[in-house]
Amino acid sequence: MNTLNLLDIALVFMVLSIIPCIHRIIKGPTIPDRVIAVDALATVIVVMLGVYSFVQESVFFMDVALVLSIIAFVGTVTISKYLDEGVVF
Amino acid sequence: MNNITVIQDILSNFFFFAGMFFVFLGMLGLYRLPDVYNRLHATTKIGTLGAFGVMMGIVIKLGFGPMGIKAITVGLFLLLTAPVAAHMISRAAHRHGVGLCEESTVDDYGKTYCLINSSCPVKHEETIEDEHDQM
Repeated sequence: MNTLNLLDIALVFMVLSIIPCIHRIIKGPTIPDRVIAVDALATVIVVMLGVYSFVQESVFFMDVALVLSIIAFVGTVTISKYLDEGVVF
Repeated sequence: MNNITVIQDILSNFFFFAGMFFVFLGMLGLYRLPDVYNRLHATTKIGTLGAFGVMMGIVIKLGFGPMGIKAITVGLFLLLTAPVAAHMISRAAHRHGVGLCEESTVDDYGKTYCLINSSCPVKHEETIEDEHDQM
């Protein structure tokens, strides 16, 4: 029961930590600010999916976390390459 | 409940708290710091220390079952790719022309890049370099 309470606190904390990401995505002055905020948001959602997979005792949420981390990495690299050189490929 | 279970609980709770603490620090830095590069310096800690800490907590709590193997895969992937993504986005931001904040004292990459490429949009090397030499 003690560890379950700690995991619930972790889930609520992760949901609360989405708020600065949304604030930075809306208000951020430049494009790299928004890209950094989206990357941090994806990482926080990956951590939340890992904790939720442990709470629900199901393996499938961990697959979702792995795929989401891969997509976030590819998206960040693509946007940075587009900002740098003007082309994607 | 024998000793090994108690040690597993204590270690996994410690890693969970470390991960949550670094996620909190990263979010505080993303909200408060004045510059793109300072914010990037804060939020990279979420990917390396925060996510890897939480995943290591799950691995220690569960052992090497299916969920533990997937958790350590996610943790190692984030540990390998978060610095690469941070380096690429900071380099793209510097070449895109995003300047530094006023409290910055030296910009070595902008100096070398503007020597190579004369059409560099960053135009703040001289004043910053003079202030740095006077100190």
